[in-house]
Amino acid sequence: MEVRDLSHRYPSSAGEVVALERASLRVGAGEFVSIVGPSGCGKTTLLRAVAGLIAATGGEVRVLGGAPEDAQRAHALGLVTQEPGLLAWRSVEANVRLPLEITGTSADVDALLERVGIAAFARYRPGQLSGGMRQRVALARALAHGPRLLLMDEPFGALDELSREELRLELLALWERERIAVLFVTHAIHEAVLLSDRVVVMSGSPGRIVADVAIDLPRPRSEALESTPRFVALTGEVRAALRDASRGLR
Amino acid sequence: MVDTPVRAPAPADMSDLPVLNVRPPRQPLIAVALPVIVVVAILAGWEAWVRIAHVQRYLLPPPTAIAQALAGDPMRFIEAAAVSLGAALGGLLIATMGAFSLGVLMAHSRALERALYPPALLLKVMPIVAVYPLFLIWFGFGIWPRVLIAALITFFPVLVNTVIGLRSVDPQAHDFLRALHASRSQVFWRLRLPSSLPYLFAALRISVPLSLIGAVVAEFLSGASGMGQLILVANGDFDTPALFGAVIVLAALGVSLTVGISYLERRVLDWHESYRGV
Repeated sequence: MEVRDLSHRYPSSAGEVVALERASLRVGAGEFVSIVGPSGCGKTTLLRAVAGLIAATGGEVRVLGGAPEDAQRAHALGLVTQEPGLLAWRSVEANVRLPLEITGTSADVDALLERVGIAAFARYRPGQLSGGMRQRVALARALAHGPRLLLMDEPFGALDELSREELRLELLALWERERIAVLFVTHAIHEAVLLSDRVVVMSGSPGRIVADVAIDLPRPRSEALESTPRFVALTGEVRAALRDASRGLR
Repeated sequence: MVDTPVRAPAPADMSDLPVLNVRPPRQPLIAVALPVIVVVAILAGWEAWVRIAHVQRYLLPPPTAIAQALAGDPMRFIEAAAVSLGAALGGLLIATMGAFSLGVLMAHSRALERALYPPALLLKVMPIVAVYPLFLIWFGFGIWPRVLIAALITFFPVLVNTVIGLRSVDPQAHDFLRALHASRSQVFWRLRLPSSLPYLFAALRISVPLSLIGAVVAEFLSGASGMGQLILVANGDFDTPALFGAVIVLAALGVSLTVGISYLERRVLDWHESYRGV
């Protein structure tokens, strides 16, 4: 997946808003890349442009060598958002089955539910589950049709810290087994460092990419890594890039 | 595991079609008994006052006289009620199908919505009493003019709620489907239609009593048959007990229909916030 000189402007009551200013970014096959940045820095805009949900006003988006719409058509994208957007009238299992119905593919839904730890709740409705469980369902649903690029927009943003921690580690383990390309938007620095191969730092208004930090921590990773000097140094580097960016604004 | 389910298991079904969820009645006896006691007390007081004060029967008949009117010739009321009910439900059915179809079109196209909303609003503000003579000229004295009046009066609530309901989809769920390149019909059947059901039921709750009003008013104007005609005749005869009887029968019809809709709603929308005891 590649984004070149991507810009996005939209009109608002307070004049034109520049959400993204010439952002360029590459995510290789099987690479886990996080975008961190302050609220409103355009990271969600970037992700939505990659998903083909908005047409950016400038620049180019290539997903798997084609336009985002082609990637949609090839059923190559999986989307997880902060609010999971599950269908309230469907059971967990039927929610996970949804992308299979849309794309006409088949998959072992039971095994998938097992993999994200919700097999016991297959027959529950989303309204009967906690936020953390709902997000697991959203993850299973995003993976069901076998996407090649997983787009995650602050997937743990609405969760309490305990569930967040737990899901983060599960995502880590899951990804280290499956190794599909992930673009992960978050505002939690240590989360980005723990999960990613690279952390891209953005600054706000206008949204620009200001740093690209390679995370050279060995895999498989675990939470024990968080107390190592290298981890601390890397989070420090990301934090410094964020600070410089916000200082540059003033 | 931090995450624990907060509710009992849901039914096994998992389609987009309504899941039937039978709930045990939870109302304590007192909740049923209290209103009954109040109604009985009111009726007793009414009866006593009419007898003691010698109120004229054509002004206010005692409850026993009303009961006699109802019990004396029940078929008169049952037949009239059946005619009215048929016209009301027929009209409601036509209006619901028509308004829902139109609502689907309008929900998918802002241009169509802008074009069709003003004429639809015209239907709503049109006084049915003024239109009815036209319907009589066009469709005669049969059941059709009444069905159409009932349809006319119920059309707008269903239309408006359908459009709002079909548009009230969870944006994240919609994004997910779009990222999969889901077709319009896939989005409609899997997301829009189920999302609109709470709104459709809200419309039906409004429309069901309206349809009955429409049918009875139409019968009242034409005087051909049904509860409207029964009221017209009883009024001409100063048959006040029969008038009260008609009111009771119509109220019972309205209540039964509303209870029926609520029951259906409860079963179809058991996933919705309004039925999850929030």
